[in-house]
Amino acid sequence: MKAASMVPVFLVGFLLVFAATDFPEWGNPQSPASDSPVSSHFIGKTGVDTEVPNMVTAVLADYRGFDTMFETVVVFIAGMAVLAILKNSVKKGSVRRDHEVDAEPDLIVTNMVRLIVPVIQIFAFYVLAHGHVSPGGGFQGGVIMGASFILIALSWDLETALARFSLNRCMGVAAAGILIYAGIGIFSMFLGGEFLDYAELERVLPVSREMARYHAMLGVEIGVGCTVTAIMFALYANLSSEGKLEGGL
Amino acid sequence: MNGFQFIAASAGSEGGSLFPLHLFGMFLGFLGLIFFLGTAVGMMRFPDFYTRMHAAGKGDTLSTMLMLTGFALVTMEDFSLGSWLLFVKIMGVVLFIFLSTPTSSHALMRAAFEDDEMPMTEEDLKKSRKRGKKK
Amino acid sequence: MTEYFPLIMGVALFILMIPVLYRIWVGPTGFDRILGANVIGTKTAVLLVIIGAVYDRVDMFVDFAIAYALLNFVSAIVVSRYLNRTISLKEMEAREKKAKA
Repeated sequence: MKAASMVPVFLVGFLLVFAATDFPEWGNPQSPASDSPVSSHFIGKTGVDTEVPNMVTAVLADYRGFDTMFETVVVFIAGMAVLAILKNSVKKGSVRRDHEVDAEPDLIVTNMVRLIVPVIQIFAFYVLAHGHVSPGGGFQGGVIMGASFILIALSWDLETALARFSLNRCMGVAAAGILIYAGIGIFSMFLGGEFLDYAELERVLPVSREMARYHAMLGVEIGVGCTVTAIMFALYANLSSEGKLEGGL
Repeated sequence: MNGFQFIAASAGSEGGSLFPLHLFGMFLGFLGLIFFLGTAVGMMRFPDFYTRMHAAGKGDTLSTMLMLTGFALVTMEDFSLGSWLLFVKIMGVVLFIFLSTPTSSHALMRAAFEDDEMPMTEEDLKKSRKRGKKK
Repeated sequence: MTEYFPLIMGVALFILMIPVLYRIWVGPTGFDRILGANVIGTKTAVLLVIIGAVYDRVDMFVDFAIAYALLNFVSAIVVSRYLNRTISLKEMEAREKKAKA
């Protein structure tokens, strides 16, 4: 039966590889995807409107800023839902599950994590702040930042990580991220534009309209990064300990 | 800096294909492939988990570092600021792998040892040989 | 020669990954599978740099390589930590058999 199940796998795999030969070449300007009026508008106008070299970031944070804002809200709601379900479901200090044993933190792993975590966090800031020029942005930087806290929780235990980034602070940072995002939108509304119309920020920033959009995108990415970092860690802390917030994986 | 400019100029005159730095980078890359061949063969043929871990932990780290260093040298076309930045970035990956791969090998090995995964002894080897002869 | 170098390296890496894949498929214990996955994950970081060299965008793909190596390290630590914290796999299987019977 196991061998028979391989037949459809290889059949579908072969079909997919066969279909991949019909794709247009990498970076071909005549391909249907980049030939449509929408794409050609973005390709032609992004550099002029926003001075951002990475079109994906410009579309994500500027042209479709409303969409991204509510994506961030969805991430926040997911974290809140997990918290609401798990927070009071298990009594603290209740009996350990029967397949768990005690384990001390490993000396080599903890010392290596001590060395690596600052580097990871600097890399996360780099990914977050460099999202305009190279691939990256708020979501990716937030995930890497959250991974660094998860690494601390893994190599010591959950209490050590929660002493550095407690759950209350987690939810505060997550809410602050959305407030930063929405605040930039509302602020540009007060300055006379529409919601999330970053170009109006030129009145307070000493730069041109295009560069105002560039810098506002960075602010928006910082908001997204805050929310994703906090929610990543809160999800890990709750799911790995079934809401008890002790012991962990 | 003068030496670098001289090397870069001589590379330009030769068409860039026989640049000694590129040759050295390619040599390092192929050396890394040889070490990875060792890892692959070791993963195939060694009898128990700990010996396989030995092959994977050492050969994997060294071959990855050698290959990435080779690529850092090969992508170094001119000695401009951009290519230096790229070189430093790739060496950053090398440093990260140099730190992280042995650590993860150690953690896995310890997990296996505390999970009562027994290393193969000489008696086990004799038994398996006898079984092989009978077949 | 320099322009074919990334391509040759990539193809050779792919071929050499097959024995490691065999170990993931067959692997008598679970640890062998994790080890094989870890080796392939490390080599994927190299493969990402190679893909970058083929498309002439190494500066972009190096960032991916760093992030991939980082997540690979985290995954190895996760698995080893989980196995450290729980009873051994053999005992778990024995308990499952007992529960079924």
